[in-house]
Amino acid sequence: MNAAQSSSTIRMHTGPIAWLVALLVAMAVLAMPGRAFAHAALVATDPADGALLEQSPAQFSLTFSEPVSPLVLTLVRPDGSQLALTSFRLNDQTVEIDNPETLKSGTHVLSWRVVSVDGHPVGGSALFSIGAPSAAPVAGEAVDWTLRAAIWTARLFFYAGLFLGVGGAFALAWLAKDRRCGQRFVAAALLLALVAAPVSLGLQGLDGLGAPLARFATPAVWKTALETSFVWTVLVGLIALGLALLSLAGPPGLRKLSAGTALLCVGGALAASGHASAAEPQWLTRPLVFLHGTAIAVWAGALAPLGLALRREPANAKAFLRRFSRAILPVVILLAASGIVLGVIQVQEPAALVHTAYGRLLLLKLVLLLFLFTLAAVNRWTLTAPAEAGDTEVQRRLVRSIGIEVVIVLAIFGVAAGWRFTPPPRALAIAAAQPVSIHIHTLEAMADLSITPGHPGTVAASMVIMTGDFGPLDAKQVTLVLSKPDSGIEPIKRPARKPGDGTWRVDNLVIPLPGRWKARLDILVSDFEAVKIEAPIDIRSD
Amino acid sequence: MKKYILAAGALCTLGTSAALAHITLETQEAAVGSTYKAVLRVPHGCEGKTTTAVRVQIPEGVIAVKPMPKPGWTLQTKKGNYEKSYQLYGETLTTGVKEVGWSGGNLPDEFYDEFVFRASLAADLPAGQMLYFPVVQECGDATDRWIEIPATGQDADALETPAPGIKLLPKK
Repeated sequence: MNAAQSSSTIRMHTGPIAWLVALLVAMAVLAMPGRAFAHAALVATDPADGALLEQSPAQFSLTFSEPVSPLVLTLVRPDGSQLALTSFRLNDQTVEIDNPETLKSGTHVLSWRVVSVDGHPVGGSALFSIGAPSAAPVAGEAVDWTLRAAIWTARLFFYAGLFLGVGGAFALAWLAKDRRCGQRFVAAALLLALVAAPVSLGLQGLDGLGAPLARFATPAVWKTALETSFVWTVLVGLIALGLALLSLAGPPGLRKLSAGTALLCVGGALAASGHASAAEPQWLTRPLVFLHGTAIAVWAGALAPLGLALRREPANAKAFLRRFSRAILPVVILLAASGIVLGVIQVQEPAALVHTAYGRLLLLKLVLLLFLFTLAAVNRWTLTAPAEAGDTEVQRRLVRSIGIEVVIVLAIFGVAAGWRFTPPPRALAIAAAQPVSIHIHTLEAMADLSITPGHPGTVAASMVIMTGDFGPLDAKQVTLVLSKPDSGIEPIKRPARKPGDGTWRVDNLVIPLPGRWKARLDILVSDFEAVKIEAPIDIRSD
Repeated sequence: MKKYILAAGALCTLGTSAALAHITLETQEAAVGSTYKAVLRVPHGCEGKTTTAVRVQIPEGVIAVKPMPKPGWTLQTKKGNYEKSYQLYGETLTTGVKEVGWSGGNLPDEFYDEFVFRASLAADLPAGQMLYFPVVQECGDATDRWIEIPATGQDADALETPAPGIKLLPKK
C-alpha cells in the first residue's frame, strides 16, 4: 500500500522526464535505419585500383558494402600535391565524385575516408594512372598511434564510468541498505565518464578526418563527430550519467526511478552505435546489445559499492549482499546469452577467432570472462552464505575477491574498447563476398560481367549484354569463356542461361586460382553472326 | 625430292588438325565473274554427334544460287533481296537465295559427306580478298557454328570455328 502510494507520487512528479527518456531510448534502440549495415568495406572503385586510363576521367566512384558518408576525399597528383575533392553525390552504396580538373599523365592516388552507419570511420586509397604509370606519389594512411591511444583511453574511461557509475548508482538505489558506502566511488566514476564522453566524441571527429590531436578544438572536427552515429551513444550516455547523479544527490523520492532509467539509458547508449548494434539482423542485435549493456551495468556497477560496504560496515552490508546474490544469477545469464548470440553474429565461423584481430580480442575477452565467472561463482556459492551469516574472515576474502573482479571488469572494458579499431569478421566476410566486375566495350558489343564472390571457389557469373552504342542486344546465346594462360589453365567454357531479368547467368562455375584471368563472352547475335569480346578480370585471393 | 617430302610432311602435321576438324570448301579459290561450284565438306558431327542439318549463309555478291538435292535430306532455301542489283547474262537480279539448308538427314560422326551448290560470283566482288560462307551444323540438340570471320590482321588459323571461305581471284 505504502509502496504503491509512493510510486504513484513519483510518476506524477516525473512523468514528462520519464517519457522523454523513454522516447530517447526508444529512438536510439529502434529508430536507427534498418538496412543492411556492416563495418563499411570498399567493394569497387572507378577507376579500378591499378587501372591505366588513356584520358582524365570526368568522375570517380567508390562503392562500399553499405551506404556511407564521405569525410575526406583527396586526389594525390603524381607530383605529390593534393587536391581536395569536395563535389560528390551519394548514390545508394556508391559515392560519385566529380573530378574538378583534367589530370596530367602519371600515377594518381584517390584517397578516401568515409564513415558508415556503425559510426566507425574507415579509409583507403586506389591507384590509377593516366597515359603511363609514374612512381606512385606518397599517400600513406599511416596509423596515428597517439590518436589511437587517446581514443582507446577516452573510450575506456567512458565505458568504465558509464557502467561502474550508473550501475553503481543503480545498486545503491535498489540493492544497498546503507547508501553512503561507495557513494563517493560511484560519483567519481560518473564524473569521469562525464568528462570522457565529450572527449571521446571529439576524438571520433579527429579519427573521422584523419586529423592529428592538435586539431582537437577545431569546428570541422566536431562537425564531423556530430555526423557519426557515436553522437547518439554519447548523448544517451550523458542522459544516463545525469540521471545517475540525480539519483545520488537528488530528492529521495526520485532515487529509484532515476537510477532505473539511467540504467536503461546505458543499454540504449550502447545499442546506438558500434559494430555489434550495426550487424544484421537489426531487430535482434540492437535489443541484444541493449540487454547486454544493461546487464553489464547491473553486475559490474554493484561490485564496487558491495565490496566497499562489506569492508566498512559488514553488518549493514548483509542485506545488500543477500539482494545482490539473489538478483545476479538471471542478470549474468542474460549477459552471457546476449553476448554469445552477438559474438556468433560477429565472428560467424570459429576460425575467424584466431585469424582476425577482432576474433583475437574476443578470445582475450573470453579468457578474462572465464576468470571473472569463476571468481563470481566461487563468491556466489561458497563465500556468500558464510559471509551473510557474519563470518568476518570470509567477508574479508569476499572483499578481496570483489576487488579482483573489479580489476578484471576494467580489463574487459579495455579489451572491448580495442574493438573500436578492428572490423569484425562479419564485415570482412561481407567484403570477401563482394563480386568483381568488369565492363567490356567494343565497337560491336559491350558487356558488364560480375563474378560473385570475387575470389576462387564456386562462383556465379552475371552478364548484361548491350550493343556497342548502348542499345539493346537480344542475343540468341551467350557463352562465358574463362582462361588463365599464364597458369596453364585452358578455357573454361560455360553456356549462360537467361533467368528472364535481362541478364545472362552462369551458376556453379568453379574458379580454381586467384589472379588475372581472361574473360571472354561469345555472343551469338544471329544464326550466322557471333561477336566475341574479352577483357582481363582480377580474381581476389581472399 | 627430299625437300618436297619434308614440305608435304610439314603441311600434313600443321594442316591436318585444323583442316580435318573444320567444315571447309573443296575449291578454295575462284575468279570473280565466274561460276563457282561450292562443295562443303563435313568431316565429322558436332562433338561426336550425328549431323542432322547443314545450313549455309550466302554472302552478298554470290548470285543465282542453285543447291544440289541430296537423297535422304530435305533441301530448303531462304530467298531475300540483294543489297543491290546484279547483271547476269543481260538479266537484272535483285533477289535470290540467301540461305541454303539440308535438313532431316543422318550423317554419323564416323562418316564423311559433301553438300553442293552452284552459284555465280558477281564481277564486282573485290578480287584478292576472302569471301566467307558461314555454316551452321546441327546435330539434334547440339549445334556447331562455323561462322567466325577473322578480323583485319587476325590469323584465320587462330579461330576455333572459322567460317569456310574462298580466295577471290581476278576476273579471267
